[in-house]
Amino acid sequence: MPLDNVVFWVFAPVSVASAIAMLLQRNAVHAALFLIVNFFTISVFYLVLGASFLFAVQIIVYAGAIMVLFLFVLMLLGVDRDEPLIERLKGQRPMAVLLGAGIFLELFFAIRAGIGFATKAPAGFDETVNRGGNAAALARVLFRDYFFPFEVTSILLIIAAVAVMVLASRQAPAITRAEQATAAAAAEAREPEPAP
Amino acid sequence: MRTPISYFLVLSALLFSIGTVGVLVRRNALVIFMSVELQLNAVNLALVAFSRMHENLDGQVLAFFSMVVAAAEVVVGLAIILNVYRRRQSASVDDASVLRG
Amino acid sequence: MLDQAWLIPALPLGGAAVNLFFGRRLGKTAGWVASATVGLAFAIGVAVLLDLLSLPAEQREHVVELFPWIEAGGLSLRVSFLVDPLSLTMVLVVTGVGALIHVYGVGYMEGDPRFERFFAYLNLFVFFMLALVLANDYLLLYLGWEGVGLCSYLLIGFWYERPSAASAAKKAFVTTRIGDAAMMLGIVLIFVHFGSLDFANVLVEGVDPTSVVGTVPSEAAFTAISLLLLAGAVGKSAQIPLHVWLPDAMEGPTPVSALIHAATMVTAGVYLVVRSHVLFEQSGVALTVVLVIGLVSAIYAALASIGQFDIKRALAYSTMSQIGFMFFAAGMRFYAGAMLLLVCHAFYKALLFLSAGNVLHGLHDETDLRRMGGLRGEMPVTAALFAIGALALAGIPPLAGFFAKDHIVNFAAEGGRVAAWVVASIGAFLSALYIARPLFLAFFGTKRNDARAHEARWAMNAPLVVLAAGAVLGGLVLGLQAEGGLLERFLDPVTGVAGHGHLGLSETVLVGISIVLAVLAVLAAWYVWGSERVNWEAFPERQPELAAWLANAFYVNALYAWLVRTAGMGVGRAFRTVDDRVVDGAVNEVAEEIGQASRLASALQSGYVRSYALAFLLGAAALLLYLGLRF
Repeated sequence: MPLDNVVFWVFAPVSVASAIAMLLQRNAVHAALFLIVNFFTISVFYLVLGASFLFAVQIIVYAGAIMVLFLFVLMLLGVDRDEPLIERLKGQRPMAVLLGAGIFLELFFAIRAGIGFATKAPAGFDETVNRGGNAAALARVLFRDYFFPFEVTSILLIIAAVAVMVLASRQAPAITRAEQATAAAAAEAREPEPAP
Repeated sequence: MRTPISYFLVLSALLFSIGTVGVLVRRNALVIFMSVELQLNAVNLALVAFSRMHENLDGQVLAFFSMVVAAAEVVVGLAIILNVYRRRQSASVDDASVLRG
Repeated sequence: MLDQAWLIPALPLGGAAVNLFFGRRLGKTAGWVASATVGLAFAIGVAVLLDLLSLPAEQREHVVELFPWIEAGGLSLRVSFLVDPLSLTMVLVVTGVGALIHVYGVGYMEGDPRFERFFAYLNLFVFFMLALVLANDYLLLYLGWEGVGLCSYLLIGFWYERPSAASAAKKAFVTTRIGDAAMMLGIVLIFVHFGSLDFANVLVEGVDPTSVVGTVPSEAAFTAISLLLLAGAVGKSAQIPLHVWLPDAMEGPTPVSALIHAATMVTAGVYLVVRSHVLFEQSGVALTVVLVIGLVSAIYAALASIGQFDIKRALAYSTMSQIGFMFFAAGMRFYAGAMLLLVCHAFYKALLFLSAGNVLHGLHDETDLRRMGGLRGEMPVTAALFAIGALALAGIPPLAGFFAKDHIVNFAAEGGRVAAWVVASIGAFLSALYIARPLFLAFFGTKRNDARAHEARWAMNAPLVVLAAGAVLGGLVLGLQAEGGLLERFLDPVTGVAGHGHLGLSETVLVGISIVLAVLAVLAAWYVWGSERVNWEAFPERQPELAAWLANAFYVNALYAWLVRTAGMGVGRAFRTVDDRVVDGAVNEVAEEIGQASRLASALQSGYVRSYALAFLLGAAALLLYLGLRF
């Protein structure tokens, strides 16, 4: 049996199982951990499909940065309390499952009509497209044909960083004298000074 | 590679559907966010598979950009959830139902 | 002078304009100005008459065209006046009697705060009436018709501070409007069938195969047109069933009652029928309807007059009765007879009204006959004048009414219409009865009023003397012969020769019968009301029902009021239900529905983000499906 087949049929069930497990976990931290597993499997698929650079980036950025960020927030806020099981919205769960199944079937038939289940990938990918290695080939395309979007996304990252700093900052301390007086008075009301 | 490309695409579709169900069913804002990330990843997988099929790196470049934007989006989204939590002491999406008619 | 005939209506119009704009500055002269315009118009009328008489009888028809008026589609009209024997007769009556009444009015209305306005309205009325009778086509006639209606309204309600006067004016206008609306329909039908409104095109003798439209109108069309025009005539001439406005119209000043509601406007209906007789004759039933309406109105009004205690209302019903006789004559195709009665009636009815005006003036606006009596001592001239008018109306020879009425009644007998003759004779008897009654009640017997009545000034009595002369001599001059009297021969070219029959009793016998009836009636009236041998004052107590029926003119007013109220309220209630249930209901229903819909829609806005997410993901899935199926 060809190697990529084996790899596929080993990691695909893991991927699906971890996704479903993430869905069903009542504890949010557990769900995050299962998602990390899913991301690892996806990176393996990237590798099989000849995108070795993305394989690395997926692990570093997604599993390594984004999910860690999720876990930080989860644990910082202490929102990992178990979610209650009862569903308040009537019919939400059955409808959601139905919708999910529906979307999957639509896509399935679209794929069948589009490419069919037999087409295999053309063979000489490593020689033609990935010439000089995937990273070099990707760099060639990225920094020539897609240079402008590249610069725009870097600006986007800066904007995101600034936005987060604004959004997540705590209340600024009272600066003007009027504000200080109000703050002091409020504190007085709460804790009166002990009598001498 | 001997695996038909459609297998990857079906897998991508499956993961996407699971992510959709997750968005609709879970109440914790952060878990919903994670389901959205799952959907994004499923789409990235499809993009890379198509890139392999068409012998073109455009799909991979698009997947790359998708990851970058997803990272930025996660950062901002988490900051928002943080703010909401500070006000309401709850991260349940159902509690943010004041805009009712 | 024939071509200057347009001056005749123009002069009163000018007088009206002068009095409207400059009346305040003219003061008392306004009255003389108004009288002068009408008098001058009369003089011009006489000159035109002389010119007309110089023409041979068949050519006595002159059209004076002025300026183009309407050019619309198939209708092309110029303002044009028709001078022929019929219109000239009306012109002379209107201007002659009108001028006398204007002079009387100067004295009567002295001291009234709106003196000049009164004369402006009076002149305006004369203008419209002259336009009506001089019109050469139906539309100008209708203009004059409406105009006299307007002036009647203005003049009845002249003392508008009195609510009864204002409401009487309204009643007159609305009632005649009903007739006028029907008449307008008739005029439209004339245009439809004849393609023209000119008398020359419409009133052609016999069936004209070359008429403008190319086809001859059917008998049904003639009947429809005639009956519709008759409706207008019935309204203006206060015949049954549109008569209810005339008694109430007595609220206006007495000169108004004399001019408009005795001599001129109310006779416009008779003029219309006589002028349109060609159309009426083509229909089998129209003239019969005219005849019946005339007779019924005559008898009804005579009875009602006997029951009235207000002197002016008694005279108003008398007018209605006399016009009934005119319609009766027209219905028998005796148009010259109708016109003779019209002219004579103008004289003695104006005389009667103005004499009554003297009484009102002298007794400080007292109109109730029960509070008069024995006035001939204090107002001898007025008494004599009233007596002349009353006897003329009663038909005592050789006064005017005898000839006029007698000719008509005898025409019925000679034509073989025995039933009509009997009824008409009864009507003649009642006429004499009802007119002698106020004569004896007011001027004879014991004085029932404490006030000292003063005789009117000679300035007011002078016109009355002229009218009295007309009442005495008019019949002799114009209608001495039963067949072919002066007026009849004059009118022949227009009205056609009336077919006098010779059936039944001989003429001498018929004349004798009518004289006997008239004298008997006057004597009976003397006995009941003048001789103090009958306690007529107790009649209402002894026979309350009969007295009430007569006094209320058989409750026709009450009937109409009930009809209008019931029908009006019914319609009003129906429309209110429609408005409440259907119109409001629809609107409210729509609002309700929208409310329901929005309540449903708001249920969608649960506030739960996950429901929203489900909703739009469903949409996305549907879109995906659609796109998938397309490609």
